[in-house]
Amino acid sequence: MSALETLPPPRAQRELYAIGGQDLKQLTEAAIAWLTTNKEIVNALNVFPIPDGDTGTNMLMTMQAAYREVAGHADKNVGQVAHAIAHGALMGARGNSGVILSQIWRGFARALDSVETFDAPLFARALREASDTAYRGSVRPVEGTILTVIKDCAAAAEEAAQRHRELRALLERVVHAAQASVARTPELLPVLKQAGVVDSGGKGLTILLEGMLRHLRGQPLDKPVDTVVRPLGLEAVGAALEAVEPGQEWEVVVDFRPRATLHLPSLYQRLEALGTAIQVGEGDGLYRVHIHLLKSRRYEPLELAEELGTITNVHMENLLAQMDELKAQEPPPLPLAVVEPGQIGVVAVSPGEGLSRVMASLGAAAIVGGGQTQNPSTEEILNAIGELPTDRIVVLPNNKNIILAAQQAAQLSVKQVVVIPSRSVPQGIAALLQFVPNGDLEGVRTAMERALTGVQTGEVTVATRSVELNGVAVNEGQVIGLHNGQIAVAGDDLVPTLLRLLEVMETAAHEVISLYYGADVSEAQAESVAEAVRERYPDQSVELHFGGQPHYHFIISVE
Amino acid sequence: MLPEEHTLLGKITISPNAIATVASHAALQSYGVVGMAAKNVVDGLTNILTRDPRHGVDVAFHGAEVVINIYVIVEYGTRISVVASSLASTVRFNVEKILALPVKEVNVHVQGLRISSPDA
Repeated sequence: MSALETLPPPRAQRELYAIGGQDLKQLTEAAIAWLTTNKEIVNALNVFPIPDGDTGTNMLMTMQAAYREVAGHADKNVGQVAHAIAHGALMGARGNSGVILSQIWRGFARALDSVETFDAPLFARALREASDTAYRGSVRPVEGTILTVIKDCAAAAEEAAQRHRELRALLERVVHAAQASVARTPELLPVLKQAGVVDSGGKGLTILLEGMLRHLRGQPLDKPVDTVVRPLGLEAVGAALEAVEPGQEWEVVVDFRPRATLHLPSLYQRLEALGTAIQVGEGDGLYRVHIHLLKSRRYEPLELAEELGTITNVHMENLLAQMDELKAQEPPPLPLAVVEPGQIGVVAVSPGEGLSRVMASLGAAAIVGGGQTQNPSTEEILNAIGELPTDRIVVLPNNKNIILAAQQAAQLSVKQVVVIPSRSVPQGIAALLQFVPNGDLEGVRTAMERALTGVQTGEVTVATRSVELNGVAVNEGQVIGLHNGQIAVAGDDLVPTLLRLLEVMETAAHEVISLYYGADVSEAQAESVAEAVRERYPDQSVELHFGGQPHYHFIISVE
Repeated sequence: MLPEEHTLLGKITISPNAIATVASHAALQSYGVVGMAAKNVVDGLTNILTRDPRHGVDVAFHGAEVVINIYVIVEYGTRISVVASSLASTVRFNVEKILALPVKEVNVHVQGLRISSPDA
């Protein structure tokens, strides 16, 4: 099929404010004509992902299949024409670039739905939807490809649509952005740079857009402008693998049992907003989510899983061995949750810097310092409640000696305050995992209180005096282990005592062991303790976090 | 039989694990592939349990040639046959390129579709 034969005479330079179904059809024809003329240029550029030199041909065949769907279409509705083109592109997609092109059309058509004509703002929105849809087709989008080019086009259209209502001027901006984006692809994808080429799919897309613009300008479509064929450097392709993974530093694996049937698409969607390398496994009603993400977001998958069901296991690992370097830097400000008026805000009591951080990242909006030996006053808690910009508050005392002060603060406050009687930090963290800022206060209270019983608390410290309690004889200076606040074991050495405490806590029957090490313990010491625990409990997931609490070498949560 | 290469200094073997890692990496960068799938659900849990890079990839040898079975989730709304054949070529290309091993076949098993943007 020659698109040129049916093309009407070039439009004069009249201003264009709306594009209807037949206009879109002509633009598509022009795009095909221009790509036909320039196909070999695109083929010669093809080195990624496989240097087989067929990108131009594949894109052209995909577009031709798309056009066949509308060739006989007399429809004036641009939405319907776009849908028909998208359908044709889907069915006729050839090669990788063809599949991506079909996704671009699919997104473009979806944004237009059933509108009669599109104007500048709608065109920009449709390009954005085209870009988003194209990106959704890959879990590891490679930048420096056609994906980058459509994204840059969308951004240019959005910007230009604010100033230009005239569509030819707008398309001019988009084509310039596409050309600039293609020129930049070697900087983003090393394999292209080594081969001395620009991305072929991106070039193909640019040619399609150029064809549309040339048609609107009345320029010929059958004479190639750019005839430079660049040499290929096929040996360079392996390097592309290095360029793929972005800097996602934490690996998080969460197992959970959903409360209700999971809607997987939306789960994937939410995970993708968090990170990369997403895998979801299912077995026997249990789901496992694997994700790589930024350090600052590493607790978000846990929040997500808690929202959907009950977490049974958590594994977190720093993928980069840069912990020491990061430690040396100034501690960043606490990542406290931001509360909007009307939402529920959490005030949590924390005995240490590291624990404050954990709580903040789990959704606490205010932290009050305090613990075993330095209980915060009612006033301090009341102030924290008062300062949050919302009138619905949850307080987590996180220590049995602070519950009373928290309840007093709740009574004194004019706000609606609920105290969750968390007797320990692990209980507080377990409760926080159930927290939803937009929930109904009573429902949130019920969920958070229920979580308290699901966790065993262990604490390891040194006896300040000799005593016999619960049948355990303790000498001053000995290491003691407390189970849910009661002395359970005592010994001379840290590691054996901690392991005995874990036995008392019936750790073997649980799945996740979280160790929060205190201010007096070095990271190396903590690591070696965690190693000993991992060795003893190979089937359990052992997490080590900096807690920073005074006096207590370790606070342990077993769930 | 593991592929072996004898050199003056000794022999080089490439394990199925290494091949699977290359294959799974190539698969995940192939357009339209949105995840690796377990061969069956129980296997799925044990596989991710070890966080094994071979998740969703099976490697076997046919003489000196490699046979790769790959299990994937594909984005709904793409031309699945094309995505699968692109995937097969990408995997073949990368394994042959990086490991210099002859690939006999790459079998693609589309285990599921992900619907991230239903069409109106």
